[in-house]
Amino acid sequence: MSDKNLEVRFGELRLKNPVVTASGTFGYGLTYSKFYDVSTLGGFVTKGLSLKPKAGNKPPRICETAAGMLNAIGLQNIGLDKFISQKIPALKGVDTAIIVNFFGNTVEEYAEISARLSEIPQVSALEMNISCPNVKEGGIAFGSDVRATSKVVSACRKTSKKPLIVKLSPNVTDITEFARACEAEGADGLSVINTLVGMAIDINKRRPVLSNITGGLSGPAIKPVALRMVWQCYKTVKIPIFGIGGISSPEDVIEFMMAGATAVQIGSMNFVDPHIGKRIADTLPSVLDRIGESHISGIIGAAHS
Amino acid sequence: MSENHSALAMDCVVIANEPLGDGHFHLVAEPVVKPVAVAPGQFVMIRVANMLDPFLRRPMSVADFAPDGSRIGFVIKEVGKGTRILSILSPGAKIDVVGPFGTGFAIPDGAKKVWMVAGGTGVAPFLGLTENIKRADLDYTLLMGARSASQLFYAARFRDNGVNVITATEDGSDGVKGFVTSALSAELEKGMKPDVIFTCGPSPMMRAVAEIAEDAGIVCHASLESYMACGFGACLGCVVKKRGAEQYVTVCRTGPVFNALEIEI
Repeated sequence: MSDKNLEVRFGELRLKNPVVTASGTFGYGLTYSKFYDVSTLGGFVTKGLSLKPKAGNKPPRICETAAGMLNAIGLQNIGLDKFISQKIPALKGVDTAIIVNFFGNTVEEYAEISARLSEIPQVSALEMNISCPNVKEGGIAFGSDVRATSKVVSACRKTSKKPLIVKLSPNVTDITEFARACEAEGADGLSVINTLVGMAIDINKRRPVLSNITGGLSGPAIKPVALRMVWQCYKTVKIPIFGIGGISSPEDVIEFMMAGATAVQIGSMNFVDPHIGKRIADTLPSVLDRIGESHISGIIGAAHS
Repeated sequence: MSENHSALAMDCVVIANEPLGDGHFHLVAEPVVKPVAVAPGQFVMIRVANMLDPFLRRPMSVADFAPDGSRIGFVIKEVGKGTRILSILSPGAKIDVVGPFGTGFAIPDGAKKVWMVAGGTGVAPFLGLTENIKRADLDYTLLMGARSASQLFYAARFRDNGVNVITATEDGSDGVKGFVTSALSAELEKGMKPDVIFTCGPSPMMRAVAEIAEDAGIVCHASLESYMACGFGACLGCVVKKRGAEQYVTVCRTGPVFNALEIEI
């Protein structure tokens, strides 16, 4: 359904609706095409890419928790070259925003990947992952220190010709310091939040369930925390925000947008209900109707006034 | 092994749910809408309740089934809150199923003597295999192991279907006393040699079966079990390590049935 009332502007990025699927839950875009036409989404974010392919962590990598799950995949990915040669051509004809998530081991690597991804016409925007809790290098090493965040965002800003979105970690004392640093270095948007560090123990084996010991908690269990952080970031910065964390219904989308998100990303629920992206995009108009709003962009930050 | 692309959603209705004893049960469901063809050894993802807790779907190996997918059965052991909810579903209850997924058991070209080694609910896919892949030249033998005679599910049904059944129980209450792997070694020592061994059950058992098969120079295919979030290759949570390489492959798409030489069980 093409519905102008669902369109949002995420900075320069025009999204046909605010429903985007989150990195690490949507493959490289076509995994879900056997379930529905991904062009019904506002966009999707690819699995995080690195310069070289990455094998990921030893299993067990996932564990169910109350209304959520822990994962420690370890950023397994096919690497930038294979993505460009195999995945990008397959995305031809996909009519939705293609946002590529990426990470590096060093500032230089981040800058190099951002430069190379900028050369791909089909790519709509870049999402920098500085917040993966499951790997030693890259990821969280940059996302838990404000100065490191500034440095890596600044480097990518110089090499990126695409809208640059930074995915923030919730595993910090004050997320607004990071939001402010990203905005100051020229980031075009924020993704709030990545997973919360957690763990589970197998009482029979007397050992942590995950081979990585800790993992990232996601799912409806984290929604209130994510919502609070979106609220805080909206108060702090002017750049648009993707609200992420446990979204499972159109009402959740509205809630995040009222907290200040311009658009949202659906994560773990894609696993539970592979049709969820389309289902939520299709049912948003009726929920908008119910709350007496004609244009979805009218509710962004509504809870602040 | 090729990927399966015919996966989709199948809202199902429960038509039977029978306890098998010792916390095991046989759940049979029929798709409400158009069924999807199923192959032996494939699995589906079942959402046990339309709630956020339990959160994830449960991967369930398809046991007995109609080839066009118009009826699918599961042999399930109650191990936690998800399987507990499934165990109390009554006929008429709706279940939200997606699948079938994965690469199932395929009989190698020219193979006639097929041995299946199963532990516990690991017999499930072999019901579907032996009841749906029937050829005059195929000679099936099932070696089934369990703690006790009461957990040797469907031994009579396999025998009725013309399968040669050899049992092993840890307490000696039926068949060979000890593990099913001892029964396997004993059969091989008699000079019997199958063209292929299929195995499904607990990982330590499958690891032992794979070693015995490798030593005897027999092709062995193992059906792996893993924690899964999605079942269709998106989460990368279910992986298994490739043998001799720092590389992981998904159990849900590349498997769940693997040539045992290709992976580290």
